[in-house]
Amino acid sequence: MTGDAAVVPEQPLRVMVVDDHPMWREAVGRDLVSAGMELVATAATGVEALARARATRPRVVVLDLQIPAPNGVEVTAALVTEDPTVRILVLSASGEQADVLDAVKAGATGYLVKSASSAELLDAVRRVAVGDTVFTPGLAGLVLGEYRRLAEGPDNTPGVALPRLTDRETEVLRLVAKGLSYRQIADRLVLSHRTVQNHVQNTLRKLQLHNRVQLVRYAIEQGLDDELGG
Amino acid sequence: MTTRHRAAEAGASAAQQVETTLFRALVVLRVLVTVYTLARNGSRFDQFARPGLLLVAMGVMVGWTAFTVWAYDAPRRRRPALYVADVAVAVGLLLSTLVIESEAMLERQAPTVPTFWVVTPVLACAVGAGWLGPLLAAVVVVAADLSVRTDISRSWGNIFLLFLAGGMVAFSTRMLKEAAEVREAAERAQAVQAERARLARAVHDGVLQVLALVQRRGAEAGGDLAELARLAGEQEAALRRLVQADARSLSLTGTHAGAGPPGGVADLMTALAPLGSATVTVTGPGHPVQVSDDQAREVRAVVGACLDNVARHVGAQAPAWVLVEELGETVVVSVRDEGAGIPDGRLAEAEREGRLGVRESICGRMADLGGSAALVTGPGGTEWELTLSTA
Repeated sequence: MTGDAAVVPEQPLRVMVVDDHPMWREAVGRDLVSAGMELVATAATGVEALARARATRPRVVVLDLQIPAPNGVEVTAALVTEDPTVRILVLSASGEQADVLDAVKAGATGYLVKSASSAELLDAVRRVAVGDTVFTPGLAGLVLGEYRRLAEGPDNTPGVALPRLTDRETEVLRLVAKGLSYRQIADRLVLSHRTVQNHVQNTLRKLQLHNRVQLVRYAIEQGLDDELGG
Repeated sequence: MTTRHRAAEAGASAAQQVETTLFRALVVLRVLVTVYTLARNGSRFDQFARPGLLLVAMGVMVGWTAFTVWAYDAPRRRRPALYVADVAVAVGLLLSTLVIESEAMLERQAPTVPTFWVVTPVLACAVGAGWLGPLLAAVVVVAADLSVRTDISRSWGNIFLLFLAGGMVAFSTRMLKEAAEVREAAERAQAVQAERARLARAVHDGVLQVLALVQRRGAEAGGDLAELARLAGEQEAALRRLVQADARSLSLTGTHAGAGPPGGVADLMTALAPLGSATVTVTGPGHPVQVSDDQAREVRAVVGACLDNVARHVGAQAPAWVLVEELGETVVVSVRDEGAGIPDGRLAEAEREGRLGVRESICGRMADLGGSAALVTGPGGTEWELTLSTA
């Protein structure tokens, strides 16, 4: 049994690129292919992205948020709902804006600014594919702010437990936001690289879970309203 | 209303539009008092000494009323000469009473030839000629009215009402104009914001994509293109900051983003965003962090001083990170670099040498704001933590 893994040739990573800018699609696609990955599809709009992902089942979707409808956040939510194992890496030109946070809450596990180098992009695709989370300091700042907003916010849905960070998770996330790499954080806090990675992953997972619970509650409330109203 | 009329109105200021509306209301009043005067004079037609002249005077009054309906309708025709002429016609009609009315009429203080019509020029001045205009007009009309009376004791009530009406119309006009101007300014600001947001979406995003692409491809190609890539990278960072500042200021409606009038509130993220660059990352929550204007300005200066230190001691291209956190009523701003750190005693030594730079500009300024600054430094880099109370 142990020999099987060595015998089976490693499958190339199946990636789809979604961007409405043809030059970007080409540039990113070329990088991925030259790194030995398989570019299974490209898409320019949300509609194309959903249809082609259904047909080609990519492992990783490199997704621009500013695409013709449905937008990147909606595409993220739809892709993750259809196939919870797909990994979404968000690539955004305009930096850390509200839509990046929305995409992460909808299920994206990686985020890069478009000005990142090809090496950073390839590294990010590989890490996202194996289940790691790819953060930028900017995203960490947004996520920290979101947890604090939820803790203080007046729009808490009653009955839904608020997601909370442990002290350790807060500490790790703050260090990410201050620009430290996972390696540097592991050294500073005397933790393993894997443990740091797990803490970061947990911060996103709790936020995504909270988001899903709220969406379900919202849907139920709307449904009940409709029934009562009709 | 013709299209030309509409176009002319669109070009008029909010205050002028208010005036035009009020002048149109005044048209109704003018027509009503004209009809009243005609009816009043018709009912006592047989009493006048010179009925022929009365018909001429009534003709002038009707003709002038028709002329003013047209004349006051356009802002460009509302000149001082028009107001003066309006008052002059009223005075002329008042004085004509002496020759048109019979001795008996004058004796028993019968109404003058123009009756209440003389109020309308005063009200026209109140709408269009500020405070002094209606006051002067009222004085002149009152003087003319009194000059045709043999007994002035019964006129005081009307005089009082004339001043009261003029004053109230002038006051209301001013209030309406101010309100219209405020609303117009608000509408204009909103339109500008919406346009900027549209630009941010449509243009900036496309340009950002291309700049990022140039940066990426150029860096791979090397040589001269690498320099081009570096420049593209700088522009991309600058443009991204602009787009983000726009988005933030839009979400902070009602307050001034960055810096506003003293005593106002500001968004610390907007204030710090311009410090970001290709090497400096400015990070914080996605929502506005409200602090006072003074705090925003000072914290920006302190963070700027920290970043200057990084550029001077670590290197112009050294990366640095600025993190803004909101913890209840406390705001914490961290500035971190990855330089060699500040050696032990280096700051104290600089202070002994009389160079107060760091301590004065960072610690002193934070203390002035009622906050504090803490420094952690070591071989892994330097980190300033600025703490500020927003309570």
